[in-house]
Amino acid sequence: MAAHLDKIVEKETAGLEQLVAAYRPLPGIFDEMMDGDGRVRAHWQPFLSMLAALGTDEINRRFAAADRYLRGSGVFYRVYEDAAGIERPWPLSHVPLIIEPSEWKQLEAGLIQRAELLETVLADTYGPALFSSDGRLPAALIAGNPEFLRPMVGVPPPGGAHLRFYAVDVGRGADGRWWVLSDRAQAPSGAGYAIENRLALSRAIPDIYRTTRVERVAPFFQAFQAELLALSRQDDPQICLLTPGPMSETYFEHAYLARYLGLLLVEGEDLSVRDDGVFVRTVSGLRRTEVLLRRIDADFADPLELNAASRLGAPGLLQAVRDDKIVIINSLGAGLVEARAMLAFLPALAPIVLGADLAIPNVATWWLGRADMREEMIGELDRMVIAPAFESQTDASSSNEVLGAKLDDAQREALILSIRDRGVDYVAQEAVTLSSMPVWRDGHLQPRPFTLRLFLTKVGERWEVMPAGFVRIADNADARAVSLQRGAATADAWVLAHGPVAETTMLPTAERIQVQRATGLLPSRAADNLFWVGRYVERAEATLRLMRAMINRAAEADETAAPVIAGIASLLDAWDAVPKDALAAPVGFITRAVLARADLSGSLPALTGAARSAASVIRERFSPDAWRALNDLATMVALPLAVGPSESAIIERVEAALRIISSLSGLAQENMTQLAGWRFLELGRRIERAILTGRLVRCFAMTGAPDGGLELLLELADSQITYRQRYVMVAARAPVLDLVLLDPNNPRSVAFQLDRIETHLSALPGRSATGRLSPVQQIVASIATRLRTVEAAAIDEALIVDIEQSLMKLSDAITAAYLSNNERSEAVWEALA
Amino acid sequence: MIYDVRQTTTCAYASPVAHARHVLRLTPIPRPGQRVHVAALQILPEPQHRREGLDFFGNRLTWIEIEEPHRMLTIKLAARVTVDAADEPGALATPAWEAVREEAFATSDIGPLSPAHFLFPSRMVSLDPEIRDYTRESFPADRPVLDAAIELMNRLKADITYEIGATTVTTTPPMSFALRRGVCQDFAHIMISGLRGIGLPAAYVSGYLRTMPRTDPTRLQGADAMHAWVLVWCGSPHPTLPRSRGRVGWGWIGLDPTNAVVASDQHVVLAVGRDYTDVAPMDGVIVGSGGQRIDVAVNVTPAG
Repeated sequence: MAAHLDKIVEKETAGLEQLVAAYRPLPGIFDEMMDGDGRVRAHWQPFLSMLAALGTDEINRRFAAADRYLRGSGVFYRVYEDAAGIERPWPLSHVPLIIEPSEWKQLEAGLIQRAELLETVLADTYGPALFSSDGRLPAALIAGNPEFLRPMVGVPPPGGAHLRFYAVDVGRGADGRWWVLSDRAQAPSGAGYAIENRLALSRAIPDIYRTTRVERVAPFFQAFQAELLALSRQDDPQICLLTPGPMSETYFEHAYLARYLGLLLVEGEDLSVRDDGVFVRTVSGLRRTEVLLRRIDADFADPLELNAASRLGAPGLLQAVRDDKIVIINSLGAGLVEARAMLAFLPALAPIVLGADLAIPNVATWWLGRADMREEMIGELDRMVIAPAFESQTDASSSNEVLGAKLDDAQREALILSIRDRGVDYVAQEAVTLSSMPVWRDGHLQPRPFTLRLFLTKVGERWEVMPAGFVRIADNADARAVSLQRGAATADAWVLAHGPVAETTMLPTAERIQVQRATGLLPSRAADNLFWVGRYVERAEATLRLMRAMINRAAEADETAAPVIAGIASLLDAWDAVPKDALAAPVGFITRAVLARADLSGSLPALTGAARSAASVIRERFSPDAWRALNDLATMVALPLAVGPSESAIIERVEAALRIISSLSGLAQENMTQLAGWRFLELGRRIERAILTGRLVRCFAMTGAPDGGLELLLELADSQITYRQRYVMVAARAPVLDLVLLDPNNPRSVAFQLDRIETHLSALPGRSATGRLSPVQQIVASIATRLRTVEAAAIDEALIVDIEQSLMKLSDAITAAYLSNNERSEAVWEALA
Repeated sequence: MIYDVRQTTTCAYASPVAHARHVLRLTPIPRPGQRVHVAALQILPEPQHRREGLDFFGNRLTWIEIEEPHRMLTIKLAARVTVDAADEPGALATPAWEAVREEAFATSDIGPLSPAHFLFPSRMVSLDPEIRDYTRESFPADRPVLDAAIELMNRLKADITYEIGATTVTTTPPMSFALRRGVCQDFAHIMISGLRGIGLPAAYVSGYLRTMPRTDPTRLQGADAMHAWVLVWCGSPHPTLPRSRGRVGWGWIGLDPTNAVVASDQHVVLAVGRDYTDVAPMDGVIVGSGGQRIDVAVNVTPAG
């Protein structure tokens, strides 16, 4: 037995050795996995042994599964410089960083200490400013900081703290010590991505994840969520996450966190600041909010008092803060502490504020606004990085960093002159070397430099550190912090637990959290977009059905089909789906145009693109599957078609598009958790379907309709089978009209649409005086009554036109009642003077 | 000198504005050398909400919210202000500009008029290398700061043409400097950009000039309208570092580059900030679909 176990251990050891055989730490830098003698560090051994036991093929298979999961969840990030705003797939490096418990304890303590120091600095800067008057923080260091928000001076932060969600980037130097590289206090990103990385990895290697005792992240977020709720004074608090919108680089994360934490995702336009507080414009009217987790930079928060050009904030927000009506996390102005120049002064402030030195040092930094430092650092230029004093160290700004040693004489002279003119704008920093960790490339482990972002949240008066992290890995082996550019990969960080890991931790407030999730509200802007997604998708479906009918008839090569084909063509023309001059062209040409002419507003690329773009701004309202279906639809429709006379490629695409739409309908119904949201999507589809059906009837069932029009109508309305069952004869006008317009049991009849519309409207919050039907309901009721009382034989064109017009009026009325905010319907923002 | 100041600002909208929120910086406040006896703003239509307050720099702010549809907004200022003639410092007795720069960098004063706030680029004033190099010509080593700044002011007056319509309210200093044309706002922004570019504190002032008949040869450019000029920081009057003998810090001195004069009792101060955006007489967010036209009428006459 013992011998058997030994064998297993031996086998595992052999596998581990093989796995790391080719691993060579980069010269002169610390490696997380392997020590200086080429031995795997003890806390990496269990993980690597289990990984090795899988074998290379299985490892590749598992890691690919993680990538599939991420694609499936729709994780992406957007690249600003990319003109097309293309969303990039999420680059997960699958090997986690492993941190042992004792080291974690030290990191944790050091970061909490730092958070307390920064809170004190902020409270002083926006309060009595004693650190400035006693010379510990030069006034120019504060005054020159673009994040020093003068309107917030003397305003205590509502809720009592400036920082509530704070992140720190750390790296490990060649000596094995951790260093703080930069502070993130404005609106730290990455926590949502860290959750996604964790989910992807724990699903790809569940056995390894379970066996390795890894600290869980959920309790950290539960504590954060509970704290957000505790900050609200209302019984039914509406906590919002304020996003700059879908063009933001990290929009996915905003949507994801909002969903994860049960927050309402809002844009500035959704907010209305009034004398008595901050409100969200929702389909049920204005709803008060008292807590805002912001992901917009402070300068954009209020066009009235800060950046007048901003369209991302809410005018009057600063006044609401001064009036103590809204807690903003982090406080407007907290970004101040991100500036690199702060790093020069924090080490000396720590003993005064905390009574102790910083447990984790930050990058050695000198502010060149001080005359003595300036000349000394100019003398040491060759071993220094010179950087802007007031920018935080981000990937984006690293291009502004200059390595003294790399300058030629002319550049050097120019830089020295600039420093002597305006030393206040510069810091000198010691060049940092990062440690490396393994990545899996081409079936091997290879070392790459990385930085680690850690997250803290304030819970009551304590700070909690998320026992995990967001790792960014350089895409090459250059180990200077400076070289960590965009294009880096990300990884999970596993903090090993001392004892067993609790699978779930229920906090005392968890029940309240449940309630909060059930009563999600719908901002008017989101409802408006959903409504239009519904209308565009329905129009696309009708267009596809017409194309299918057209191609099928052309394929029969029956001369008698010509009038119906011409009728369809002229309807497609009326919908602006085909160019005018194509009307007499062969069916292949016409249908090809509907698929290709994105410039026409009724073409399929235009319709599906509009649906996708309306959906993209409310992506958090869709399940990943529904979003993917919509995305697939737009992408597929926009693909170039093979050139050739054959219509088979076209019909294949039409069928595929119809299949996606039908799956989308199912997904929307099953997965849209926001009930009011689903109703607006449905309302859009039902109204559009009713209008289009009316139009089809006028084209194909009234006087002057082409022969075969009634059969076409039955086909388009999916009603052939029902009709044959009922009448067993050729199509006749009255029974067809009855089935397509009046039959409340036919899911494609106009009567059926009205029935659904009535149901949805009655489930929405009423927007009129009690007792009476709202104006919206009155319109529906009047149309429905007419359809219930009319005889099929008596239906004429005028009646249908009338119903179509009433339906359009209904669409406007719904918009007016639920979707537009009366206060700012045609918002024009202007800074006057 | 005692002045009666009247300003009427009229915004006419092409289509009704349903809702408006504004911040007004249209009320003068007492300052060193300036007393305000009365100052009142009359606003039509009457705002539903109105608040008064001070901004960081001590300027008077009026927040208003108008919730009724309107096609016209009128704001009338009536004020009586006494302005003292400035004590003329001996320009040659001010400290060397490099010493002033170092003093500003090292100041521990973070209060509203600390030089520290006026050292850095601001929303409308970037630090332009061309303006900086132009400025440097007036600042050889060790020159007294005010002497050099006055020369810079005179060069700007000589090199830049005062021309209404050549620039707009959003023109940046590099643009107007390249055009060599502009109005008071451009003159002030260019001068501020140059001074800050070499590390000297400079502030933007909005205010009024005494109204004079057009025929009066002593009439200054910018009368009958809102005017703008520059404050240059000339060292602390109470230095913490020892100074070379005979050099006196003088704090903020007003220089008017549009007219090439040192600001004195012809200049009534309305607001002080880092650039135009800090003192813009009116900021706002309105709900409406049409365009708008703004008219400003100013009258500043000796009282009595």
